Amino acid sequence: MNQLHDSIFVRWVTGIIQNRKAKTGVVIIFIFLFLALLGPLMTQDSTAFLSTPLSPPSSEHLLGTNGQGQDVLAQTIIGSRQTLLVGFATGILVVFIGALIGGISGYYGGKIDDFLSLLINVFLVMPGLPLMVILASWLPPGPATLTGVLVLTGWAWNARVIRSQMMTFRSRDFVSAAIVSGERNIRIIIVEIMPRMLSLLASSFIGASIYAIGAQVGLEFLGLGDVSTVTWGTNLYWASNDMALLTGSWWTFVPTGLSIAIVSFALTLINFGIDEVTNPRLIAERVWRANIPTKKIVNGVTPVVKSHE
Amino acid sequence: MNKPLLSIENLCVNYITSGRPIKAVNNVSFEIQEGEIFGLVGESGSGKSTVIQAVLRTLPPPAVITDGKVVINDKDILSISDTEVLKYRWKEISIVMQSALNALNPVLTISEQIEDVLREHSSLQGQAIQDRTEELLSLIDIDISRLDSYPHQLSGGMRQRVVIAIALALMPPLIIMDEPTTALDVIVEREIIAKIIELRKNLGFTILFITHDLNLLLEFADRVAVMKNGKLVEMDSAQNIRGGGKHDYTQKLIGSLPSASGPRERGMLSKPENLSLGSQPILEIQNLSKSFIDSGIFNSTSIDVVKNVSFQIYPGEIIGLVGESGSGKSTIAKLIARLIRPTSGNILLNGNNKKVSEAQKVPLEYRKQVQLVFQDPFGSLNSVHTVFHHLARPLVRHRLVTKQNLFQTIIENLETVGLKPGEAFARKFPHEMSGGERQRVAIARALSLNPDLIIADEPTSMLDVSIRMEILEIFARMRIEKNLTIIFITHDLASARYIADRIFVLHNGSIVEENSAEQLIQSPKEEYTKQLIKAASPGWLESLSLDNGDMKNA
Amino acid sequence: MAAWAALTLNFFIPRLMPGDPAAIIFARFRGKLKPEAIQALRETFGLTNEPLLGQYWSYLKSMLIGDLGISIAYFPEPVTNIISSALLWTIFLAGVSLIISFSIGTLLGTFIAWNRGGKLDSILPPVLAFIGAFPYFWLAMVALYIFGFELSWFPLGHAYGENVTPGFNISFILSALHHAALPALTMILVSLGGWMLSMRNIMITTLGTDYISFAHAKGLPSLQIMLRYAARNAILPNFTGFGMALGFVLSGALLTEIIFSYPGQGYLLLQAVRAQDFPLMQGLFMTITFAVLAANWLVDIAILIFDPRTRK
Repeated sequence: MNQLHDSIFVRWVTGIIQNRKAKTGVVIIFIFLFLALLGPLMTQDSTAFLSTPLSPPSSEHLLGTNGQGQDVLAQTIIGSRQTLLVGFATGILVVFIGALIGGISGYYGGKIDDFLSLLINVFLVMPGLPLMVILASWLPPGPATLTGVLVLTGWAWNARVIRSQMMTFRSRDFVSAAIVSGERNIRIIIVEIMPRMLSLLASSFIGASIYAIGAQVGLEFLGLGDVSTVTWGTNLYWASNDMALLTGSWWTFVPTGLSIAIVSFALTLINFGIDEVTNPRLIAERVWRANIPTKKIVNGVTPVVKSHE
Repeated sequence: MNKPLLSIENLCVNYITSGRPIKAVNNVSFEIQEGEIFGLVGESGSGKSTVIQAVLRTLPPPAVITDGKVVINDKDILSISDTEVLKYRWKEISIVMQSALNALNPVLTISEQIEDVLREHSSLQGQAIQDRTEELLSLIDIDISRLDSYPHQLSGGMRQRVVIAIALALMPPLIIMDEPTTALDVIVEREIIAKIIELRKNLGFTILFITHDLNLLLEFADRVAVMKNGKLVEMDSAQNIRGGGKHDYTQKLIGSLPSASGPRERGMLSKPENLSLGSQPILEIQNLSKSFIDSGIFNSTSIDVVKNVSFQIYPGEIIGLVGESGSGKSTIAKLIARLIRPTSGNILLNGNNKKVSEAQKVPLEYRKQVQLVFQDPFGSLNSVHTVFHHLARPLVRHRLVTKQNLFQTIIENLETVGLKPGEAFARKFPHEMSGGERQRVAIARALSLNPDLIIADEPTSMLDVSIRMEILEIFARMRIEKNLTIIFITHDLASARYIADRIFVLHNGSIVEENSAEQLIQSPKEEYTKQLIKAASPGWLESLSLDNGDMKNA
Repeated sequence: MAAWAALTLNFFIPRLMPGDPAAIIFARFRGKLKPEAIQALRETFGLTNEPLLGQYWSYLKSMLIGDLGISIAYFPEPVTNIISSALLWTIFLAGVSLIISFSIGTLLGTFIAWNRGGKLDSILPPVLAFIGAFPYFWLAMVALYIFGFELSWFPLGHAYGENVTPGFNISFILSALHHAALPALTMILVSLGGWMLSMRNIMITTLGTDYISFAHAKGLPSLQIMLRYAARNAILPNFTGFGMALGFVLSGALLTEIIFSYPGQGYLLLQAVRAQDFPLMQGLFMTITFAVLAANWLVDIAILIFDPRTRK
C-alpha cells in the first residue's frame, strides 16, 4: 500500500532535485564531501615540511606553501574534513535538540511549555559569540569541544522556530482528528506532524550547518581551537600568525577562505531551493513572467496578451 | 434598449502553468444595463471571480487575459495603457471584495483608508476630504467617532460597511460586489444586503453581484447569469430563473438547498415514523461552562464562551445545534469530543458518571464511542498521508480488525460513504480529491469505529452548494442503518430543520430555545430565534425593508 | 525572569568548569600579582569560605548595585570604568552599522520583492549571499589589506588617530569617522543580504494578502501601495530580528574589533579571556545580557507603537 508516486514527500524531494539552485548546491557539497573523504589518498602529507616557507604556487605545490613550509593544497583538502564534520554534526544536533525541546514545548503547551520556553529564552538572550569564546578558552580544545560549544549556543533559535510552528500545527484539525481517533501523542508528533515540518527541519539543518562552519572557523581563527590539527580555521589562524597578509602571500589564505565561502554558499543555494519548492507561487510566477512577451509588467495590472496580435 | 453601461465580449483568461495553460474563463460575454442589479452565480472554480477581476485588470499572476473586450464609457479596458487603468479604477468601477474582512490595511485607521481614495482620485482637499469621509460613514450607519478606529477594533459587519463606504467614495456608476457577505453571519448578511439595496435606491448606482448562493441572488437581482467551469451556461431575468431555469445545472443549484419556511418535505432525511429512541439518554450535559483567558500586554480578561449549558440526547436521535459565529457551538463540539477540558460542568456518556473536568486522561473507550467530523475537509486530513492511512489508523489503534481484513474493511467503509471503487480511493492523497470526496473520507473515518455518537461540526458549510445534500444524506442514512446518535452543528437553520429531530438555538454561549425541529420553526418563542428564521426564509428582503419603511414613517 | 536566569547561569558557569578555576588562576598569577589583587579577585568571585548559597546572595547583591568588581589585568581599575569606555566605541561602531545595514537591507528587500523576477531580484540575493558566505574576519582582513595596507585609504586600526585629542572637536570626530569607516563598511556588507532576504520573504507574503489586492483595485499609485500598504505591514515581523541584533551589537562586533584593533567590547573580551581576567569577563557578559534584554524591551515598545493590533 505504500505507493508513493504522488506523495508530498516524493514531490518535495523531486522538486528539490529538479530545482536549479538546489541542484547546484547539492553537487558542490558532494564534490567537497568527496574530496574530504578521498583527499588523503590524493594529496601530499599536509603536515610535513616540504619546501621553503611561503613559496608561491608552482608546479610542485599547486597552491604554494605556507609559513611552515607545508603544502597549501593538501592543507585545504585535509582541513575540510574536521571543519565539515563539526559543521554537519552541529547541524544535526542543533535540529535534533531544537525539534525535541521546541516540539515538546509547542505540542504540550501549559506548564511544560512555560518551563521550556523560559529555558529557550534564557539561551536566546545569552550572547552566543562571547559565550563561545569564554567556553572554548576553558575547555580542552578539540572537535568535541567545538561541537559542544556550538550546539550549546545555537540550539535555542531553532527550538524557538520549531516551537512556534508546532503550536500552529497543534491547533490544526488533522491533529485534533488524530486525537479524537485515539492516537497517542508521541505517535501524532512523529507520524502526523513531523513529516509536515520537513521543509523547516531541512532548512534549519542547513542554516545551523552554515552557522556552525562560520562560528567554528571564527573560534579557531582566534586561536581557541586545537591549533595543532589541520582545519580550515587553523589554516587561517596560521596564515594570520605568519603575517601572510603583510607579506602578500595571498595563496595561504585565499584557497581556504574561498572554500568556506563556496561551501556556505552552496548550502545557502540549497536553502533557496527548499524555499522555492515550499512556495510554489514563486515558481508559478516565474513561469508566468517567462510566458509574457517583452511588454513591461506593472504590478497590479493584469497583462493582456492576445494570440492573434 | 439603451447603450449598456458595461459590455464584456468574448472574455478569455488563462492561468499560465509550466504545462498547458488552464482556461479559467472561456469566451464569456454579457452586458449590464444602467441601474440594474446583475447577478453572476457559480460554485468554486467556476471562474466568476476571475471574470470580474479581469474587468478591473487586478488578476494576480499567473493569470493572463488572452482575448476579448471590456467596454465601459466607449473605452476598451483591455487595450488602454497601464497608467490609464489605474485612473479608471474606482472612478468608473469600484469593488467590494470577496474577503472584505481582510480587505482593510490593519495598520491604517479607517478614515485614512477612505481618504487615500479621495486624495488620489478626486479634486477634494483638506476639510472637504474630511467632510466627505464623515458623510460616507453616516451613509453606512457608522458613528463618526469610529473614524480613528483600526480595522481590528470593528466587528465583521462594520468592516464590511466600511469597505462599502470606500466603494461609494467616488460614486462610480458601477459597483461590483464579489461575495460581499459570505464571511458574515446570516442576520448580519441580511442587514448588509438590505443596506446595499437601500443605498442603491437612494443613490442610483448599478450593481454587479457575484455569489455562489443563487437563492440569495434571486431575492433582489434583476438578471442572473450562471457560470460553470469558466463558461456562461445560462443568462436570463431573475423571474425566469426563479421559475426553474432552462439549464440542468441551474435547476440543480435552485433545488440544492432546503428552506426554513413552508411545509416540510418528506424524504429520507426527515425523521422516520417508526424510529424509536432509547429511554436512557446516551449523552447528558450538565451545567457545562468554558472560559478562555485572553492575555493582553497589560491585562488578561476571561471570556466565557460556553455558559452553563445542559441538555440530554437519546440514542438514535439527531440534534441540531444552531448558532452564529461566536455562539460557542464549536467549543461545545470540542468539549464533548474532549479535545479541551471544561471550566466546570460534566459530560456523561451512557450514564458513566465520572467527572470529566477532573479526568486527566481520556480513556481509549471514549475515543471509540464519540467521533467528530470537522468543518474543513482539507484541514482535517493530513496531506502527507493516503486515505488508506487515515482509515487504517483508527482500526489498528482500537484493534477492531485483523491485519488480513484491514484492507477489505477499509474498502467497505469507503464504499459505504459513496466512494467507489474503494481500492482507487484508498490510494489517493487528500489533494487528489475534491472537497466533497475529502469530506466523505472524513466521515468514513469517523464511522469506521462504529461510534455511539457523532458530532458533525458544520460538515457542509465549506462545500459547494450542489453537493451539500448528498453529505447530509449520508448522516441521515447512517442514523437509520446503525441507530447512530448525531449532534449536527450548523449556522444554517434550514439544514438543521432538514436533518434534525430537535433543535437547540445557541446564542452567546447559552441555549436560548429548544424544541422539536418543526415546532421551533413554526412557532418560535424567543426574539432571536424569530430573527434567525426570518433571515433564512425567502422574501426576507421585502420584510426587512418594510420594517425600515415603518420605522421611517413612525 | 530571563535576566535572573542569565545572572544565575553567569554565576554557575565558572563554578562548574572542570577543575577548580580559582586554584588555576591563583596558581597562574601567584607571584605576578600583588596580594591586593588576589584579594580583589577572591572578593569578586565570592570565593571565600562562605557556603555556595551565601556566595550567590552576595553576588546577586553586588550585580544589582552595578558593582562588577575590580579588573585583574588592568588592576586596580574597576570593571565598570573599563567597560563603559569600550561600550561607547562599540555602540558607535556596531550600532550605527546595524542601523544602516537594516535600513538599506529593508529598503532593498522591499524593492526587489515588489519587482520580483526583475533584474535586481535575480542578481542581488545570490551576490549578497555569496559575500555573506565568506567568513566575516576573512573579508575584513582582505579589506584591511587592500584598502588599508596597499591603498592606504583607511587607517590600519584603532578608533582615532594619535595626533588628535578625544573631545568634541572637528578633527577628533573626523578621525573617529575615518577609523570607523572600513570596519563599518565590512560589517554592513556581510549583514545586508540577511536583512534584505528576510524583508523580501515577508513582503512577498504580504503582497499576497487581500488588502493589497484591494489597494490595487482602488487604483492607488504603485509607490503608495508598496510603502504605505505593503512595507508598512511587512516590516513589523522584522522588528523582532532587529531587536535581537540590536542586543547582540555589543557582542557581535567581536571579530571586527579584533581585526581592526578597535577598542570596543569584543576586543576587551578577547583581552579578558587571554589574561584570564574573570571579573572583567563576568562584567562584559552581564552588560551584553542586559543589552539584549533592554533591546527586546525596546522592540516590544516599538511594535506597540507601530502595530495597532497589539494595543487594545
